[in-house]
Parts: sequence; structure tokens; C-alpha cells
Amino acid sequence: MRTTARTAPAAVPADTAPSGTPKAPGTGDAPALSLRAVRRTFGPTVALDDVTLDVAHGEVHCILGENGAGKSTLCNIVFGTVPVSSGDVLLDGAPFAPASPADAIGRGVSMVHQHFSLVPTLTVEENLLLGRSGLRPDRRALRERLAELRADFGLVVDPSARVDRLSVGERQQVEIVKALLPHPALVLLDEPTGVLGPAEIDGFLSTVRRIADSGTAVVLITHKLAEVMRVGDRATVLRGGRVVGGGRIADLTPERLVTLMVGREIGGLDAVLAATLGVTGPDVAGPPAHGPTTTRARARARAEEPAILEVRGLTVLGPEGARRVDGVDLAVAPGEIVGIAGVEGNGQSELVAAVSGSLAPEAGSIHLAGETVTRASPARRAALGLGVVPEDRHHEAVVPGLSVAENLLLGRLREHRRFLLLDRRSMRTRADELAERFDVRTAGTDAPLSSLSGGNQQKAVLARELSLDPLTCVVAAHPTRGLDLGAVDDVVTRLREAAHRGVGVLVVSSELPELLALCDRILVAYRGRLLGPVPCTDPDARDRVARLMMGTAA
Amino acid sequence: MIVQVLTDVLVASVALAVPVLVASSGELVGQRAGVLTMSVEGMMLTGAFASVIGATTTGSALAGVLCGATAGLLFGVLQALLSVTLRANQIVTGIAANALALAGTTFGARLLFERGTAVPGFDRWAVPVLSEIPVVGPALFRQTPLGYALLAAVVVLGILTSRRTGWGLSIDAVGEDAAAADRAGIPVLRIRHLAVLGVGLLSGLAGTQLALSEVRTFSDNMTAGVGYLAVVAVIAGSWRPVPVVVASLVFGAAQALQFTLPALGVDVPFALLVMLPYVLALVAVAGLVTHSRPPSGLTTTFARVRAA
Repeated sequence: MRTTARTAPAAVPADTAPSGTPKAPGTGDAPALSLRAVRRTFGPTVALDDVTLDVAHGEVHCILGENGAGKSTLCNIVFGTVPVSSGDVLLDGAPFAPASPADAIGRGVSMVHQHFSLVPTLTVEENLLLGRSGLRPDRRALRERLAELRADFGLVVDPSARVDRLSVGERQQVEIVKALLPHPALVLLDEPTGVLGPAEIDGFLSTVRRIADSGTAVVLITHKLAEVMRVGDRATVLRGGRVVGGGRIADLTPERLVTLMVGREIGGLDAVLAATLGVTGPDVAGPPAHGPTTTRARARARAEEPAILEVRGLTVLGPEGARRVDGVDLAVAPGEIVGIAGVEGNGQSELVAAVSGSLAPEAGSIHLAGETVTRASPARRAALGLGVVPEDRHHEAVVPGLSVAENLLLGRLREHRRFLLLDRRSMRTRADELAERFDVRTAGTDAPLSSLSGGNQQKAVLARELSLDPLTCVVAAHPTRGLDLGAVDDVVTRLREAAHRGVGVLVVSSELPELLALCDRILVAYRGRLLGPVPCTDPDARDRVARLMMGTAA
Repeated sequence: MIVQVLTDVLVASVALAVPVLVASSGELVGQRAGVLTMSVEGMMLTGAFASVIGATTTGSALAGVLCGATAGLLFGVLQALLSVTLRANQIVTGIAANALALAGTTFGARLLFERGTAVPGFDRWAVPVLSEIPVVGPALFRQTPLGYALLAAVVVLGILTSRRTGWGLSIDAVGEDAAAADRAGIPVLRIRHLAVLGVGLLSGLAGTQLALSEVRTFSDNMTAGVGYLAVVAVIAGSWRPVPVVVASLVFGAAQALQFTLPALGVDVPFALLVMLPYVLALVAVAGLVTHSRPPSGLTTTFARVRAA
């Protein structure tokens, strides 16, 4: 085990240090964190079962697993937001049962959350002072500590900036600084790179390495193998809430880790799935069935055809009058899959909202299947064949409290009306047929939609949107987010099938590898504009898109 | 003549603004912490009632203050239990509590209070020199001891809960994003409980001020909507301390006109003047609310995780 080689908190005199400052990490033999037969259930669901693992001081311990494997629950247990159902947690060899995050922080545990946990209306400095200061915040001690963090880890933040004015990358930086402020002995990172661009991920990973090298134990939760192979010392793989393998990274191959995560051999792994996992290069099978070869054929064919979806000079204002979409032109031909990449918050959401009819544009026009639909209702757009898979499944795509059948047929209840009443029987027949065709696994289409897993909810949304008749164009925002591999596979296959039938497909995603594997060409959203296009057949496509995402010319 | 009129108007305005100000400064902290306490009206009325009963029973105005403060605090405990612990709808429970307070105090007054009884209260005490300042002096520096104490309390509270203090930061964080505040190690529920107790205490004292410093008696529904004005003052003041003070003063002045205008011989129907503060309140909420942003977490509830 590495002994601690961290700088003493000399700049913060002991008497002015916040009361929650923990003692220096133990230098004894006990691991920084031990879980012993930890189990956690939520109602009938077992989120974690018999999980035992050790995290040593100064190591980066990666917890791998698909969505729903229990990674986040594990983090939440250690950080005090979820209690264990049974089993023991030890911190530096001492029993540890935090009742709240405040407890955990007091014992030297810090966490960087999957979703930002900064208060957007406060400044960076105010966020950093939160929870660590009594009546009179010690701003000087904070500034001194910030200087220290800059010297030790190269972390730079602007204390006077308001958090809601920062980019996601800058916010992430603040999150890390916040986690490191109290000299933690253990840092939990819960899928911290999900919202970052490629360059920011690189910077982040080097920071993680430096944190561990200073003697702090780091738990990195992720499903991206590339990150694990780069910074990890050890890995533990979870599947279905149980530890299914792990060990020193040096002794593990990416193939082995994928096999453990997925529970099946990866010989025939689709390029999109491989991209989702962060495995690239020769480790995976060749191009997918509908890969670049057919892309070229389709590219030739569609050159003659008029665009099915066309957006001209579109400008959409945000709630505070800022131009979230700024004079955007965009055309999607029938049978074409166009991707919109970019760091989140660059206008993608507003563009999708304007195209799908939930946000009225300030200027410009939208044309669908030869008609102008700039201010048409969502119902009119659906009648013209526009299928929409919204970004926020729960709030925009489904009504969780209604049944699966009701959700599947929500837009076409008119077709199932007998006199003034709904014809439940024909609804049931139709819903059963759709669920069957799109492989939506339910306990019956009468069950509430909320009883389905995330993947099956998304399949239900696809079933509804892709079964529009006629279907001319599909707009999908982050269609694979939060889904496990099987569901990702399904979603991707459905979108490709639709494109093959001549439907125009527009996909928004922040997962660049996925887009590269799925699309014909990629546009990059940057500060409300669309840069590009970059054809996915270009061998340098990845680098070109990555550069555009940072706003530098391709 | 003009100076005299101005002085009179200002004296009446400040006198009626003080209860609004005291209650709204408590409500401001509550709303910043994310709890909309609609029962300020009921808390004030209960505070007024308890203080009058306490003062007449013991013969001591100070004991009356104690009773008014305690009653407000107990009311705050009830509201905190409903709004924060049980996560009930804050608007519905608040309004129900107001109805209960109106009925309870009206009934209680029949039982315990005889009309015309002399109520021990507080006399005005003029600060030497300062109260001689033309126009402003008499309005600000001829308060009762309770009035001075409450104004001082409002100032101290404003300083302690400003963004410059750790407490103020924590309050804003809890009201903006309770989950984020929780992850930062802030005791979300404790802060919200304390904030609602503070609303209760200050509203009770505001009612006491109205009863023992101004009116010197208890009458049915004597607050007559002043508590609602305090809630509106917070909204009209965009959840910032200084504008909230200004809004409270405006509402005080609007109430004062019903006494000062007839005294000046201006012929306006009395009923219209009584309506004025509430019309102003409607205009303020409808017109100003579009330009300001409430705390994101206002009226939302917080619970960390279901028990295993």
C-alpha cells in the first residue's frame, strides 16, 4: 500500500478549519473503504446483493457495470444518502454507517455526483462555502485552499462566477474542487464524465490520477472501459447487484471486462454497442450490417431526393432571451441518419423542441414532407409523419401513471372510439400487437407504464413513434441514454430499420462514438449554431467532430 | 400645514407598516428556504389574541408579549409539522390553518374577553433629539418599546440571514435545490423546520405589536388580511430584503390612507380606501412577479430516501 504523501493543510490553520475536517487518511493496514456482504433492496428489487470489496489508500478503484447494475446505489450507501439493508461498511477499519451526506463528509468522504449538485443561482465561492461554514464564512481560508488545489492538481476555478453561467466542463471542475476542499480520505466519482467532451475527459482523468497519487482513495464509477484502462488500478465489475469479477487492471483485458459486464461473449458485438462501452479499435467485430458501405449507396441515392425535414434560419430564444438556437440550417433526406453531436447545453434541446413543436421559434422556418410546419401543432406534425423520441422520457414522452396500452395509443385515441367511449378491446388488441412487434416486455399492456424498466419504457416510446402511419421522419434526442446494452441494441436497430425504409432520422446525442457508428453524417452543435457536416465515412471523423465540439475549426 | 400633513401620513404609515414588516421578514426567510407559509394571517391573529388574553389576565404587557410569541411559535410548530415533516400541500394547509385561527380566536374572544376591558399595552417613547427631526422623526422615533425591539430584531435577522453569512447561504441553497444542499452536507429539514418556526414566532409578535402597541384591544378578525399582505410583500419584493421592506412600507401606507385621507377632508368612499392595499397587492403580484424569479424549490418538499 502507498503511504500518504499529501501536502499538509498548512495554509488552513487548525483553529479556522471547518469543523468537519477529517483527520488525515490512515496510514495503517486497513483499507480506506471496505464493504462486507452489503445488501440493499428497494421494495422487491434487489439493488445490491452480497457485495464485498476493498479500496486501498492511493488507488483508483473502478466500479464497472451496465445501467442498473447497482453502481450508483453503492456510491449512495457510502455517501449516506441510502442506508444498507444488511452488511457492513468500514472506513479505515472502523465501522461506518453514515445517516446523511453531512455524516459522510465529516468522516472524510467526498462525492462527485452524476448529476451536478451545485446550486445554480449561487456563485462558485458560495457553493464551495455551503455546508462548511457557520455564521461567518472564512473566505480567506477558502481562497488559500483554492490556491493549494491549483498548485497540487492544476484545478482552476473562478470563485466569483455564478454557477449557471458556467459551461458543463467548468461546473465539473467546481464539483471536483468542492469534493477535494475538506481533504477527503476517500473520493467517490459517480459517472463523472457523462456530460464532458473528449478533451475535458482527458483533463479529468489526469486529475483523477493525481488525486490518487496524493494518497487519497478514489472510487470511479463508470461504464466506459477506455477510462478504466487509462486511470484504474483495480476494478470490480457489478452485474445485477452482485460482484461478478474484478482484480488488478494490469491483469485484466478490455474483452474480459466486457464479458463480465454483459454476461456474454463479445465476439459479435455491434460497433454501436462497443462504442457505448468505450471499447474501440480492433477489439470489436467489424462494421455493422448497415455500416459505411450501404451508407455510400444511400448517400448517392438521396442526392436526387428533396429533404424530408428542412430547417431554415431557425432561431429559438431561451427563457431569458438568450439565442439558444441561432440561425440554424439543417436538412435530412429520406433514408438518411443525421447526427447532432456536441456538449450538452449548446442548443440541441431547443432545436429538438422547435422541430417537434413544443417550443415556438423566434425566426426561421421548419418544413416537413413538403409542408411548412414552423408553428404547426405537434398533432399536425404527427399527421405529416414526424415521430419524436424526446430527451426527457418521464416528463415529455410518457405518462407513467397510465397503462402501457394507453401510452402506446395516446396520440390516436380517435381511432379507438365507439360513439363517445373508448373501445378498450380494440385498444388492447392494437397495444398487444405493438408491444409484440417492438419487443416491449410487460406484465400485460394493462400494467402502468411506470412498472416497466427504463429500456422497455423507451421501447414503448419507439413503438408509438415508429408506428405512425405515414412515418416520414424521426427525431430522437439521446435515445439510448440510461439504457442497458440489450435495449441500446434494440433502439439502434429500430432507427436503422426506419432509415432503410426511407425515413429521415435525426439523432441528438452527446455520446460521440455512438453517433459515429450510427449516422451517415454528423453536425456539431456549438453555442446555438451547427458546425460541420462531417461525413462518418471520413477516417478522421472522430477527431474532426471532437475539435468542432470545442469550437475550433475542423 | 404641508409639513404637518406629511408628518401625520408618515406616522400612520409606519405604525401600520411595522406589523407587516415584522411578519414579512419572517416569511422572507421561510420562502427563501423553500417553504411558502400561507398561515401568516392566522399566526398574527392568534398572536394578537393570545397577547391580549395574556396581558389582561396577568395585568402585564410583557407577559402579553410572551403569550403572543409563544402562540405564534406553537402555530409555527403545527405548520412546520404539516409543511415540512408530513410534506402536505403548503397552500392548502396554510389557508385551512387561517380559517381555523379565525374561528378559534373569535370563539375564544367570546369566552375569555369582555369588550371594553382595558388592555395593558405599551406606551410610545420618543427618542430624544431624533424624534424632533421634521417629518421623519415622529414616524420613526416615536415607537413603543415593543416596536423598537421588533424593528431591531428584524434588522438583526436580516443581517444574520444575508448571503454574507453561512446561514444565509444555507437557507438559499435549501430553497433553490434541496437535494444539492443535502449532498453538500446541509441539514435541509432542520433548516426548513427552523425557518417555519421563525415565521411563526415573528408573525405572533407582529400580531402582538398590532394588539398591544397600536389597537390596545382584541376584536374579531382584527388582522383583516394584513398577514396576506406580508406574504405578498415577499413576492412583490422579489425575495430580496430591501425591496421587501419597501413593499411592506407601501402596504402600510396604503392602509394608512383610510385614516389620513378622511382626516384631511378628502372625499373618497371609505370602502374604496379599505380595498386599496389589497388592490395594490393584486397589482404587485400580477405585475411584478413576471420580472422576478422565486426560489426554484418554493413549495417543493424534500425527503432523502424511502426506508429499507
